[in-house]
Amino acid sequence: MSLLQEEREIILGNEYVENFDFAEVEDFVKNASKELFISHHFKHSNKMLVQPRGGFPTYKKQFALNEFFVKANVDVLPLTIDSNTRLNDYRSAARMLRLSEENDVDMLNGYPLVNHGYRTTRKMVTHFNKPVSLRHGTPDARLLIEQAIASGIFDIEGGPITYLLPYSKNFPLDKAFLYWKYVERVCANYSQLNEPINRESFGPLTATLVPPAITIVIQLLEMLLSLEEGVKSFSVSFAQQGSMMQDIVTGHVLKKLARHYAEDIGCGDASIHLVYHQWMGAFPTNPNYAEQLISIATVVASMVGADKIITKTNQEAAGIPTKEANAETVANTQYSLRILNGLPNITDEQEEEILTEEVMAIMQAVFNDPADTLWRKVFNCIKSGIIDVPFSPHIINHNQMITIRDEQKNIRIIKRGKVPIPDHCFAYEKAQCDLSKDTTSIVNDIIHDIGIMQ
Amino acid sequence: MNSHNDKLLIDVGSTYVKVCVESNAPERCHLEQHFRNFNQSILDDLMHKCGHTISAFAKDDVYICSSANGGLSTLIIGLTHTFSLKYATNIAFNSGINIIDTILYQDIASATVPSDLIDVVIIAGGINSKGNAFADDLYHYLQNINYSNIVYVGNEQDAKVAKAQLPELVVLPNIIDNRLHIVEEELKAYLTNLYQQDIMGKEDIKDLYQISSNQIFSTPYIVNQTLPLIDASYSVVNPFILLDIGGATTDIHYSKDLVDENMVTNNEFDRLVFKKLGVYKSRESLIFAAQGNEFVYELLMHLNVTENIFHEQSDKATRILMQLAIFLVLCKMSHYRQTYINLKLSAVNSIVLTGGVTKVLKQEEAEDIISFFYTKILTSQHRPVTIMDTDYAIWTLGSRAQDANHRAK
Repeated sequence: MSLLQEEREIILGNEYVENFDFAEVEDFVKNASKELFISHHFKHSNKMLVQPRGGFPTYKKQFALNEFFVKANVDVLPLTIDSNTRLNDYRSAARMLRLSEENDVDMLNGYPLVNHGYRTTRKMVTHFNKPVSLRHGTPDARLLIEQAIASGIFDIEGGPITYLLPYSKNFPLDKAFLYWKYVERVCANYSQLNEPINRESFGPLTATLVPPAITIVIQLLEMLLSLEEGVKSFSVSFAQQGSMMQDIVTGHVLKKLARHYAEDIGCGDASIHLVYHQWMGAFPTNPNYAEQLISIATVVASMVGADKIITKTNQEAAGIPTKEANAETVANTQYSLRILNGLPNITDEQEEEILTEEVMAIMQAVFNDPADTLWRKVFNCIKSGIIDVPFSPHIINHNQMITIRDEQKNIRIIKRGKVPIPDHCFAYEKAQCDLSKDTTSIVNDIIHDIGIMQ
Repeated sequence: MNSHNDKLLIDVGSTYVKVCVESNAPERCHLEQHFRNFNQSILDDLMHKCGHTISAFAKDDVYICSSANGGLSTLIIGLTHTFSLKYATNIAFNSGINIIDTILYQDIASATVPSDLIDVVIIAGGINSKGNAFADDLYHYLQNINYSNIVYVGNEQDAKVAKAQLPELVVLPNIIDNRLHIVEEELKAYLTNLYQQDIMGKEDIKDLYQISSNQIFSTPYIVNQTLPLIDASYSVVNPFILLDIGGATTDIHYSKDLVDENMVTNNEFDRLVFKKLGVYKSRESLIFAAQGNEFVYELLMHLNVTENIFHEQSDKATRILMQLAIFLVLCKMSHYRQTYINLKLSAVNSIVLTGGVTKVLKQEEAEDIISFFYTKILTSQHRPVTIMDTDYAIWTLGSRAQDANHRAK
C-alpha cells in the first residue's frame, strides 16, 4: 500500500466519518455524470459560468437554497462550509448541526459536510446534477476534500497560501503546504478516472488593497504547486479591484503568465481557467449602489474573458444574504451576460508591461530560493517577506508592503518592503500617487481607500 | 571505510544503550540494546557488552548520541509569560535542554533562589525600541545565584547596563523582534554549543571519543531533526506527536499545528520535556504525579491492578508505570491541565512511541491507555493511530541524516 493510501485510511478513520468505502467512491467517481464536472463545462460551454455563494447548516435548507439557484438558472452550485469544519472541529459542528436541526435556527455559518457525510451529501449533489464548487477556507482540508469528492463535488477551491494568509493568525504555513499537497494528489488521482477534478485558487486574498502583482504571483504559485502533483484542470482567480483598467490588465497578465509558467514546468497539457469574483471588499450599505457595483463587475468579467464569475448580493453590507437575494443576483448576472457580447479586446500596454515585469521579478526571486522543493521555496519567500500580502492577519506575513489608490483608483505600491519590485516599476507605481502629503493624510487616504465603495 | 559502507550508531541513554549496525547489505544490519550497568563507566560497560561489534569499526564510522549527561539546567528570567519566557523556553527545549525553571521578572523579589548550580541563566524581555525594562533588583537577585554561564537576549537598550553589571554576560540579539516575532537562531546556537561542551566535558561521555572520531550529539537534537522526515518514511500521518518515554524523562515532540502559537519558527515541530516522568531514575516522582491525578485510580482499576503496584518491583509494575507515564503526559498536554502549552489532541492522527516504552509495552497495551485517555479526559471516540518505534527507526534515521549532513560539509 502506498504511503498516500495509508495516510488516507488514517485520515478517513476519523470518528466523524462513517465507514468510508474507497472502492465504492472510486466507482462512483468513475461513473459520475459529466454534468457534475466543472472541467467538462469549461470545455464545452460557450458562455461564462455563473456561480453564487451560499451554505446552510441543515440538509433541508441547503437543498432549498439549491432549488432557488436552479430556478434562477445557475451554472455552478456553491457549497460554503461552516467555520467549525474549517478549523477541523467536527465535534462542535456536530453539536451545532443538531441544535440547528432541532430549533430551526442556523447555528452554523455554512454546511458541515463532514458531519452530514458523503452518502447524504451525494444525494443532494446528484439530485441537482450540476457542478458544485466547494468554498471553505480550511488550512488542513484533507478530510473535507475526501468527503467532498466522494459526494460528487468536483470543483475544489483553496490552496495553502490563499486559504491561510487571509484566514488564519497562526496555523503553521509549512504544515498547510504539506496538507494541500495531499489534497492535490487526491485530486490528481481521481482525475484519472473520469473528467478532471478542477482546483481553483482563491485570488481575492484579504480583499483589501492587495496589489495585482501579489495576487498574480500567489495565483501562479498555487497553480504550479497543484500542477506539479498531477492536477490537470486549474482555475486562477482574482477579485474586482476597484479600477476597471487595472482589472483588465490583471486579467490579461494573469492568463498570459499562467500559461507561460505551466508550460515552463512541463504541464502545458493542463487546462487553465480564469475566475473573477465580484467585489470582495467592504460593500456599500445602499443596496442600489451595491447593485451597480455588482453589474460593473459583470461587465469587467466579460472584458477580461473570465470562464466563471462568482457573484455577490446587494445585502452584503447588512449580513448573510438570504437565499432569495442570492438567487436574484444569479438571475441578474445571467441577464447582464446575455447583453455583453462581442466586447473589444482592450488593454493599457504600459500598465501591462509594468505588471508583467513585477510579477516575473517576484517569481524569479522565488525560484532563486535555494530550497529543493517548490513549496519550501514559496514558504521561505513568505517568511522572508519576498511575498507580502497587505492586511493579512497571519503572524508569518511581513505586512511591510504599503499600498494606496491613485487618482484613477488603481492600487499602487508606495512601500515595497522586501518584495523585489524592480526599481523602475516601483518608481512608476509611486509616480502615480500624490506622496507629497504628510504621513497622517496618507494614512487617512489608506483608510478611505479600504472603504472606498462604501 | 569498509566495503559495505557500514556504520555503527550508538545511543547512550540514562537507562539503556542502543547499538545499531547500519549497512548497505541488509543482512549485516542489526540492533542491540543493553540495560546500563551504573557501576561501570559508560565506555567500560559498552565494551564489555558489545566490544566485539565496536572493535570491528573504525573510529570514523562510529556515530554516538547521548542523553545520559543529564542535560543542562537553565533558569530563564523574562518580562512576560506570553513572549519572553515562552520564546526562551521554546528555544531552550529545542536546543535539547531538559531542565528549565522560569521566573517572571516582576516577581523576582519574592522568587526563591535556587540552591543548585545553574548551568545557564537566560535573561530575556522587551523589544529593541524600548529600554529600562530591568533594574537593580535583577542584579541583586543574580548575585545570590550560583551559575556557570549567563546570557542576555533581551532588548538592546538594556544590554549595555547589563554587561556593565555582569562582565561575564554573553550578549546575543534580542529573541523578540519589533513585530513580536521570535528570533531563535543565535540563542539556539549558543545553547546547543553549551550542551555540546557539557557532553564533552562529562568524563563518562568524553571517554567515548576513544571509539569515535565524530562529534557526539544530544539525542533530543537528533530526534527533532528527524521529525520532518518520518511521515515520508513511515506510516505516520500529520499532525502527530512523538512520545519518547525513557528512564529519566519523557520528551514530547509535537507538530506545530496542534498548538495555537504566537511563534513563527523554522521548525515544523517543537519539543517539550517532562523532567520527572521516567520509570527508572524518576520513578518516585512519576508515582507522586500519578497519585495526584484524579483519574489514576480509575485507570488502575481499568488495568486490573491496585495501588500496591506502586510499591512493587516487577516487570508488571514497570509496565503499569509506563502506561501511567503515557496517560499523565497526555493529561499534561491537554486542556485538563493548563501548562506551558496545550495541544489540540483531538486533531492528532498518529501517536508515535519511542524510547524504553517500546521495549516494555505491547502495541495493544499502549493503545488501551491512549483510548482510556481519549474516552475519559477528552470524552471523545477519536483514536489516533499508535505507532511503536520498536526498532529505534527514528533515532537511526536521525543519526543517518546527521551522518549525511556531516559528509556534505
